[in-house]
Amino acid sequence: MTIENSSVQVLGIDAGGTMTDTFFVRADGRFVVGKAQSNPGDESLAIYNSSVDALAHWGREVDDVYPELVTCVYSGTAMLNRVLQRKGLDVGLICNKGFEQVHSMGRALQSYLGYALEDRIHLNTHRYDEPLVPISRTRGVTERTDVQGKIVIPLRVEEVRQATRELVEAGSKAIVICLLQSHKNEDSEKLARDACKEELKKLGADIPVFASVDYYPQRKESHRMNTTILEAYGAEPSRATLKLVSDRFKKHGAKFDLRVMATHGGTISWKAKELARTIVSGPIGGVIGSKMLGECLGDENIACSDIGGTSFDVALITKGSFAIKSDPDMARLVLSLPLVAMDSVGAGAGSFVRIDPYSKSIKLGPDSAGYRVGTCWPESGLDTVSVSDCHVVLGYLNPNNFLGGLIKLDVQRARDHIKAQIADPLGLSVEDAAAGVIELLDLTLSEYLRANISARGYNPTEFTCFSYGGAGPVHTYGYTAGVGFKDVVVPAWAAGFSAFGCACADFEYRYDKSVDLAVPQHGTDAAKIAACEILQSAWAELAAKVVEEFVINGYKPEDVLLIPGYKMQYTGQLNDLEIISPITNASTAADWDKIVEAFETTYGRVYANSARSPELGNSATGAIMRGTVVTQKPVLPEDPDGGPTPPAEAFLGTRPFYRHKKWVDAKLYKMELLKAGNHIVGPAIIESDATTFVVPNGFETTVDKHRLFHLKEVK
Amino acid sequence: MSTYNKEQVAHLAAGTLDWDTTFRMLSMPKDKARFGMYVEALQAKVTFPDRIVLPLGPHLYIVQSAKNKQWIVKCDCGHEFCGYKENWKLFANIYVRDTPEAMADVYPALMAPDTKWQVYREYYCPSCGTMHDVEAPTPWYPVIHDFEPDIETFYKEWVGLPVPERAA
Repeated sequence: MTIENSSVQVLGIDAGGTMTDTFFVRADGRFVVGKAQSNPGDESLAIYNSSVDALAHWGREVDDVYPELVTCVYSGTAMLNRVLQRKGLDVGLICNKGFEQVHSMGRALQSYLGYALEDRIHLNTHRYDEPLVPISRTRGVTERTDVQGKIVIPLRVEEVRQATRELVEAGSKAIVICLLQSHKNEDSEKLARDACKEELKKLGADIPVFASVDYYPQRKESHRMNTTILEAYGAEPSRATLKLVSDRFKKHGAKFDLRVMATHGGTISWKAKELARTIVSGPIGGVIGSKMLGECLGDENIACSDIGGTSFDVALITKGSFAIKSDPDMARLVLSLPLVAMDSVGAGAGSFVRIDPYSKSIKLGPDSAGYRVGTCWPESGLDTVSVSDCHVVLGYLNPNNFLGGLIKLDVQRARDHIKAQIADPLGLSVEDAAAGVIELLDLTLSEYLRANISARGYNPTEFTCFSYGGAGPVHTYGYTAGVGFKDVVVPAWAAGFSAFGCACADFEYRYDKSVDLAVPQHGTDAAKIAACEILQSAWAELAAKVVEEFVINGYKPEDVLLIPGYKMQYTGQLNDLEIISPITNASTAADWDKIVEAFETTYGRVYANSARSPELGNSATGAIMRGTVVTQKPVLPEDPDGGPTPPAEAFLGTRPFYRHKKWVDAKLYKMELLKAGNHIVGPAIIESDATTFVVPNGFETTVDKHRLFHLKEVK
Repeated sequence: MSTYNKEQVAHLAAGTLDWDTTFRMLSMPKDKARFGMYVEALQAKVTFPDRIVLPLGPHLYIVQSAKNKQWIVKCDCGHEFCGYKENWKLFANIYVRDTPEAMADVYPALMAPDTKWQVYREYYCPSCGTMHDVEAPTPWYPVIHDFEPDIETFYKEWVGLPVPERAA
């Protein structure tokens, strides 16, 4: 092995609420994971500490590794927390007169976003959050553009000036302008923006102005307004944080440009204009990582499954690409941002376990112990049983090596709580009660996973399941058993997989714009050409924005690979599909036919060929432009084959393990010491500092040369 | 099932409980001890010596009279309305909004119901003036008797507590 002279190339950062993880990858594919306590005051310090922790495994120093790095991708929860805790910038809002209350009222569904089904249908729990901008910093101006984009009442510019003065007086640190239908006709809003800027100049007030047309020119008024406000409220403060991080890297000799994971599945620079789309990034990393692994393994259909402490996230990659949702909700706000489509259920390894007093059935979640693990950790201050408690009692987890021995777990304490809260009320032994909880969780997850695949018309036998997340490998066997996947893969770096995935992402900007184009099935050439013209001009506008972002980062326009796309539906249907354009330039009737043909093919794949309805004609609803440049990505390790028998030093002994009503002795292995080609038959438990991989009886696993574990049911 | 302490339940009764805890209480099955603690919290807020048997509204209770153990409907302020089987509204001060002018106190112009079809009847405590209830019926409709609780079943079978003593 070439340990000493292999350079460190890639760094992935996952700055969570409690822990900051760093993931370093060398040119030979070897990696280390570092952990440090997060520091909300100065994230750059936590990243530094975490790097020191990681690089210690290789006996290297931050100051000589940072200059070697070529790629660094950051993902974090700071912006999301800032929004959830309402600790963003004091923003002022200018909107249409008569619509001042719209942002405060919000959309009705925002009162139950993020709730479990039981609570959605339980009206008493519905609640409207504090608006991001209070009424006291909202001003209406006279203007009206109709739905066709015609200006019905011209903007009264003097009212904008007056509003600007009042908002500055009221202490606004940024001003957001969002007028009705501005995605359809931007004139009034641009006029308002310029007047506002002029007035600010006159006042000598140096505060930024965010007009929705400059950022998110998309239909759906609440979505557009929320997203533009989010940009000012949450993203601007993040920019300051990221600058601190970037500065500290530079101080230690770094030459790379810090990038941030964004919701559309690409990474963008911290200097990017639209930073709001970095609000959610962690879980997306896993999907990107899965896509890259899938390309290496030749799997184009992948079910990505991520179990953390609080939730189970599922995403599907079909034919090598993941789906994008264009109006997702985050932080209980409806937004217009492209987001990698994912489904979540609120059940994870830290979920609380309770008995429903009426039905006497076991209930999981929806709340969880989170970083406090469970009652098995005496310092947690918890007295409600969590799933982790059941794992500890049944021998799944090593009480002395949780998080690499960082905290010691008390098995007896967990037993006592399970006995009092679950086992006694149900008249079961502690073991059977705990095993019941695990079985229920596994069943919940596997049903969820199965439903996610079959509801979209796919068959699980065509899919490979990737299982990751801190708690993923503990449950992999449980939620994949009987589903019938082609293959089940657990990466050795499951715990750092999101950070790894972020580092795999392209340096990619993506801009979207709403368009309204409808051409009937046998439309005239003139109609097709007219449609092409509008689409082409939207692409040109978006391409200019994409190129501008890369130029900010020192790239030349010719380095940028532009990938146009569009959203299309059958006229009159409700859901559109996102299509990568088969042509780079649309101008002729033949071009339009190609655009329609690509849509028809995708429609047939996503739904069914027989469901295609060309007689309705086609409507293009959005133009999309993505642009990428070449970047360094992590490479997978390539280990020499070590034969099927695990080396003696990897064997750690045995531990009693309870499943199917009996205790067995599970063989323990140290994950890091296993070699490619090693074959292990359950019952066995493979441990590393950050994760535990459970292989019960009836299962076997093999390590491949990329340090991926393939899990199989033994028939 | 989660359990809560007296302090949390007191905050719940006062409307000052934090949202996260309130949400958890709302979305999960009610714990057995809640009713006892809730009544205890209410008891601590009132100044009269009578024992609260069942709350009827934010300021209205069915209590066990400290004098003679009879169950009566009583206001926060100590005003006694009537026996618990009777309709307390018939013993309250009543203000009926049955003219457009009276409705104009409550609603902006053109936003109020037509008083030929719907009136508001407001029920006030004769001693302290607290508004205990508002009805919105058609003008001729009799006074509504909202609630005739089966207190014995509630105590015995629902919350599993001994039924407070009651003199006939």
